[in-house]
Amino acid sequence: MLKYSIKRIILALVTAFIILTLTFFLVKSLPPRGVVSPDVNVRYAFYVDQMELGYVVDMPNPVEGWTLLEHFHFDVDHSDHYFYTKPILEQYGAWLGNIVTKWDWGRSTVIEPNSSAINIIFSRLPVSFSVNIISVVISVPLGILFGIIAGLKKNTWLDHFISTLVMIFISIPSFVIIIFLVYLLGIKAGLPTIWPTNDAAAGTKALGYIIPVLSLSFGSVCGYTRFVRAELCEVMSSEYLLLARTKGLTKNQAITRHALRNAFVPILPSILAEFIGVFSGSMILESIYDIPGIGNIYIRALNQSNPDYNVLMVDMAVFTTVGLLAGIILDLSYGFIDPRIRMGEKNS
Amino acid sequence: MAKEKDEFKLTNLPPEVNDPEITKDDFKLVQVDAKIHDQKFQTKPTTFIKDCFKRFCKNKSSVVAAFILGILLVLSILVPAVGKTSEVHETDGSHPTNYYLEPKLFPAGTGFWDGTKRMVDIPLNPETGYPSETYIRSAIISDIEKGEEQYTKTATTFGKDGYVQLSYFQTFPVPEVDDDGNVIKNGYVAMSAATQITKFNFTDSFKITNFDVFDLAKLQAAETKEEGKKFPDGYTPGKAALALKFDKGGESYEIELTEYKSVFNIGTSEEAIDVSSEFASFYEEHAVEKSWSDKKVENPSLEIRLKNENTKDSSRNTCILVKSIKIESTGETSELFNSLSFDNGSICLNRTAKTGGVWACKNDILHSRMGAYLSKAILCSFTYDTYEAALGTDNVDVPISDIDKWVDAGYLEYDSGILPGGVKIPSAFKCVILDPAKCPLKEAFTQDDLVYNTDTGRVIKVHAKVMKYKTLFGLESMPTFIMGTDQTGRDMFIYVFEGLRTSLLLGIATTVICFLFGLLWGSVSGYFGGNVDLVMERFTDILSGVPWIVVMTLTIIHLGSNFLTFALALCLTGWIGTAATTRTQFYRFRGREYVLASRTLGASHGRLIAKHILPNAMGTIITSAVLMVPSVIFSEATISYLGLGFKNLASLGVILADNQIELTNHPYLLIFPSVIIALLMISFNLFGNGLRDAVNPSLKGEGE
Repeated sequence: MLKYSIKRIILALVTAFIILTLTFFLVKSLPPRGVVSPDVNVRYAFYVDQMELGYVVDMPNPVEGWTLLEHFHFDVDHSDHYFYTKPILEQYGAWLGNIVTKWDWGRSTVIEPNSSAINIIFSRLPVSFSVNIISVVISVPLGILFGIIAGLKKNTWLDHFISTLVMIFISIPSFVIIIFLVYLLGIKAGLPTIWPTNDAAAGTKALGYIIPVLSLSFGSVCGYTRFVRAELCEVMSSEYLLLARTKGLTKNQAITRHALRNAFVPILPSILAEFIGVFSGSMILESIYDIPGIGNIYIRALNQSNPDYNVLMVDMAVFTTVGLLAGIILDLSYGFIDPRIRMGEKNS
Repeated sequence: MAKEKDEFKLTNLPPEVNDPEITKDDFKLVQVDAKIHDQKFQTKPTTFIKDCFKRFCKNKSSVVAAFILGILLVLSILVPAVGKTSEVHETDGSHPTNYYLEPKLFPAGTGFWDGTKRMVDIPLNPETGYPSETYIRSAIISDIEKGEEQYTKTATTFGKDGYVQLSYFQTFPVPEVDDDGNVIKNGYVAMSAATQITKFNFTDSFKITNFDVFDLAKLQAAETKEEGKKFPDGYTPGKAALALKFDKGGESYEIELTEYKSVFNIGTSEEAIDVSSEFASFYEEHAVEKSWSDKKVENPSLEIRLKNENTKDSSRNTCILVKSIKIESTGETSELFNSLSFDNGSICLNRTAKTGGVWACKNDILHSRMGAYLSKAILCSFTYDTYEAALGTDNVDVPISDIDKWVDAGYLEYDSGILPGGVKIPSAFKCVILDPAKCPLKEAFTQDDLVYNTDTGRVIKVHAKVMKYKTLFGLESMPTFIMGTDQTGRDMFIYVFEGLRTSLLLGIATTVICFLFGLLWGSVSGYFGGNVDLVMERFTDILSGVPWIVVMTLTIIHLGSNFLTFALALCLTGWIGTAATTRTQFYRFRGREYVLASRTLGASHGRLIAKHILPNAMGTIITSAVLMVPSVIFSEATISYLGLGFKNLASLGVILADNQIELTNHPYLLIFPSVIIALLMISFNLFGNGLRDAVNPSLKGEGE
């Protein structure tokens, strides 16, 4: 088990490395963008930093055929600075070096010129995290509850009702749900229609959570309801449950001690994975509701006219890492929870 | 009871029955020479497909879903093909007349889906008892419910009091910074006063009073008391100052109102600005007295300058709310200054003394971020027939040439002989409408409606009451748009189904490509297993490790956003699902006895895959492919909604993204596409689940 875990983690690290490398080359192969700031000093400081970090080179004269980022001329000492990008491979080496030695993942060019991209992402993370964690805390128990009700009352009107609702809500795209929520709760009922600003009153801030949390919870609740119901239905028709009943256990005893425990074997790992997933942000929700989280910053960094590639790259890295981590947790926890499953063993 | 006994009395039978003598001759061979062949089944034979279909039909919801899908599919082909995409009719060159028509299915007045809009909080003209002229009276189909006089953010010409919002936001000229990084000039919004005052004589002294600016602390105190005084969302109160500006012989003068230390330095830039004291941010009234003599100036203008103190934090917008600017003068001409307007491309506020404090504002806080912020007005609400307003009757001047055309067409008739080129002024004029169904005129015009050239007596035009749908659209009856029209007058019904067509086309095209590639990949990986499988699996592992949104955005940034790149971007990761399903199925079937048997008989790999394994695995794989169509449509809609979608091609996601800002005022523009996309998704999922159960009954009910 330990061996398998280590193997999985190493494999995930390799995968993450390959993905990030690919992303780096793909992003860097786009036409390079300079820093966007009205302040000359900020721009100049940015390029000097970039030079020190090993991404650009400063030439006193223009060079034909290179990609010019920006040209500075200083009257004081009549000096000229032409900043050019280095070849992608050199940049890649510098990038890896900076990550390992300085934990510098690149600098922002548009969103907050010349500040560390990873700091920007990390400063946005708590907002995404707070919305997601509330949603998970609400939706997981609700989903399980509805799933158990539907599973135990299988083929009754209650089950059909829940299943139909689940079917509908799981099919409707999330942004449609957000649109309707903003319309009904925001515009009609008077809740904030965008994320309250930092200096808003505490009450308004709390109310601002309602629509985002609800819109995230709908899909999640439905997913869990469906999952729990399916598992429970399968377990309810198993032989050991029949045996438990013939042994003389009451129906409730049989359900709580045998059915639920076994049904939760595949459900628990996905809950754990869901908790890992709270570190990523929902791009659609955050951009519609204007939540300053990492999903929103992704869309801002993607802006067609003013993209911020370095922030984009770090954001992609966060999303990828979270995805891979959730996958590992999902796989490994199966083995911990269910003794029948031994991960990584060879099939005899 | 007795009868029952009889049945068992075998002993009572005659001896020959109980003990019959059977000889060899009693037996006869029946089919001794017959050739026995297999006989046809008495029952009807059934194929796999038929069996699946039968099972599929048992699942009612899936059948309904398939039916809905069929309807959507047919509509998405027929509707854009039959209907015209857009019916944009511009009357004055700027706006089509038929924009923002509400969805209409039932006749107006039925209260639901009837093309009417409930207008709420519309400022009322206290003199007429009706809202402003922009609301056509014949289109107001309910009683006007009046409210009490209150503060409103709605633009109105009937408002009193209130505040003008002047704001700084980031797209305005950014502040200038010197080499040391010090701010030498703040970003500001300058509001100039009216330009209609061409001459102003500054011989008299004058006074500027009542320059009110909200102060945050006072505002917060006021906010709790007075509901109307709420500071605009997302703004921080800024500081402001007044300046008077005029031209004299081409030279520009600035009068600095030093009481506010409002030195703006347009002329004298070397003077540094003390950031802390230059602007006023007071709530109370402030009076400025300044007198000039012998200054005859042209084009005087008053400026209010707003300083943005939060230049570093670009996400904060600054604004001030100005209650009034009153300029008093002892001279006659200065009264003109009571007519004050703030002008920045469009007139935001025009408050004139003559009309007794009327607010005329092009108030669009959301887009222009300036304008009258609050004013006091009586608000009313009523039901408004958008069709009648846009396309109904209207009093217009019809050129005589049009009237002649209608006469030629036989729609109407008047006692001609004099008209159209007649020199004589017609008397005892009579006009008769012959064909009321087709004639664009609602009522016959009279002699009084004729407009003559007074010299020649020639009739130029006619004041007439016309039906706009006839004159502008050439329609015989009022059109009904069951999903309404959008801001360009496009019929949403056609537009939505056009979008659906694009989405479906993309979904199906992508699915086909992904299906074929995934099938190939999965079958090779699953069939050969071992190291081939290991390598191929790692490849898909890496690819599926990248979030799909990352793959899509990178592809779209690299290759641009059109149908092909979209399909490509979706295909890049889309095939992984099919490949995984195929691989699993191949693992399941490749070890079966019939495959082994075939292999021992010398079948090639290709034959084993194509003839033996694939047909068995096909049902499950096809089902997963069907379920892929909605997920592709969903992905496309999502990415379009995030602003990376098609540029000149309508898809459901693009329609939703484009209309996102309309949610407050025209929710139907979002509701109909949303309902269609939701319907599509639900039907596809139900259909796919039904198909899966039909193809593979052992999976019945899983994942419902």
